[in-house]
Amino acid sequence: MIKDITLGQYFPGNTILHRLDPRGKIILTILYIVVIFFAKNLWSFAAVIASAVFLTIISRISPKTLLKSMKPLIFVLAFTTFFNVFWTEGEVLLVKFWIIEIYLEGIIFAVMMIIRISALLVGTTIILTYTTSPIMLTDGLEQLLAPLRKIKLPVHEFSMMMTIALRFIPTLIEETDKIMSAQKARGADFTSGSLAKRAKALVPVLIPLFISAFRRADELATAMECRCYRGGEGRTRMNILHYSGRDTLAFIIMILFGAALILLNQIPSAISL
Amino acid sequence: MTEIELKNVSYIYSPDTPFRKVALDNVSLNIHGGVITGLMGHTGSGKSTLVSLLNGLNRPTSGQVLVGGEDVWADPKQVHRFAFKVGLVFQYPEYQLFEETVRRDISFGPRNMGLDEAEIARRVDEAASFCGLSPELLDKSPFDLSGGQKRRAAIAGVMAMEPEVLVLDEPAAGLDPRGREEILGGIRSYQRMRGSSVVIVSHSMEDMARYSDEIIVMDHAKVKMQGTTAEIFARADELKSVGLSVPQITELMNRIRERGIPVRGGIYTVEDARDELLRLISERRGRR
Repeated sequence: MIKDITLGQYFPGNTILHRLDPRGKIILTILYIVVIFFAKNLWSFAAVIASAVFLTIISRISPKTLLKSMKPLIFVLAFTTFFNVFWTEGEVLLVKFWIIEIYLEGIIFAVMMIIRISALLVGTTIILTYTTSPIMLTDGLEQLLAPLRKIKLPVHEFSMMMTIALRFIPTLIEETDKIMSAQKARGADFTSGSLAKRAKALVPVLIPLFISAFRRADELATAMECRCYRGGEGRTRMNILHYSGRDTLAFIIMILFGAALILLNQIPSAISL
Repeated sequence: MTEIELKNVSYIYSPDTPFRKVALDNVSLNIHGGVITGLMGHTGSGKSTLVSLLNGLNRPTSGQVLVGGEDVWADPKQVHRFAFKVGLVFQYPEYQLFEETVRRDISFGPRNMGLDEAEIARRVDEAASFCGLSPELLDKSPFDLSGGQKRRAAIAGVMAMEPEVLVLDEPAAGLDPRGREEILGGIRSYQRMRGSSVVIVSHSMEDMARYSDEIIVMDHAKVKMQGTTAEIFARADELKSVGLSVPQITELMNRIRERGIPVRGGIYTVEDARDELLRLISERRGRR
């Protein structure tokens, strides 16, 4: 049920993607997002699709899982497609009916948008969340943002908050599942009735959930103080991140990919934006 | 006297992902009516998964669960009926309390069954008394109770539904001996009075020896042993091989027998042990 949410979940593994330095990965992800928007014609979009397929293959994440994780995006995709198809004006008129006009350009634009958004999601989830453990991710983020400490931003506290939040998402999901099961065993019904009735049915779940979240927060704070946690000042780390040759290689591939897209854009193509 | 039967039941968590885990592997068993059945096993042996299948909360990956001869999943739309037939109390049930007063919390289940107010009131009072909750506690907030009282209030919430089979997952976990006694004693008096079927999941050999009539032992997603309490505790070596032990008194009697004194096997309560030792002593005196 709730456990089936896979978006943003980490899949343990030992592929080259898993072994990349998280700091590098965060920058690579940002680069990938930027580079994808270089694509302008048929050839460069083919390259974008190829890059998403390539990432899927080397990450060894099953395409089925990936597709499942994209389900929540269907609404966004349908929404943009709808607007692109009906509100783009072009030269080749395909359908004209009452006030509806559909142009070939609109359809092309919609398809390209779908490819862009899907590649964006596949790329970022595979590079970052699926192959980087949350701890590595926040560690990387903390070190990347370290310069901001100069202007007195609480970088360590921010990343500790992120770590704790990420750490407790699965715990709270599990807890929600447990409490829902317990209330279902007492005859609670979460799936039928009007919206108001269903919202009311959630009260027996939300109250115990909040109480246990507060209890956990309290316990965690005590446990951290018992281990003399005093914020980031002078704190050393157990896992030191190493930037190595394969990280440089990943950057080179990403830059080449960007360059390739720009070159492919130059090839004349019937379909382009 | 509702029986529960499992026929070739398997349950797999997260199939088709790297997290795939077989929690139950082709399990067939009978939980007899009108007795207290103890469900034992090492951590991760599949006890809690088994329990979640009994009231239709989870659907077995394959196989059938029959409650009183009826297949729970024959009609998936009707599966919620079985929540009232088989009352399930989860581990640490005190974390499910939510109402303003204990009385209202206990009446949550009966109210969901659509009973009238008089019947609900009767059931709440009865369940509360089985669980040793005094009437003045019923009007307090459940969050003002002690840990043991909260646990008992939560168990009363399921008992008040008067299910044909009451299933409790580790009802006494984390309580002191007196708290355990209060809870398990209350469950037993409930069972003896109503003659219904009860399943208790537990790690404690002592508790199982005192309170259960029959025992099922799980190991690595399979049923390892099933029999009456005396039969199971007579097989000390097998229990040890699955990471469990026998009650201390059984261990003591076994050691006495190893020293050459002919006490009988299958003793698991202090009272039986005392009677057996007294019998042996009087026999010896008689011979002299």
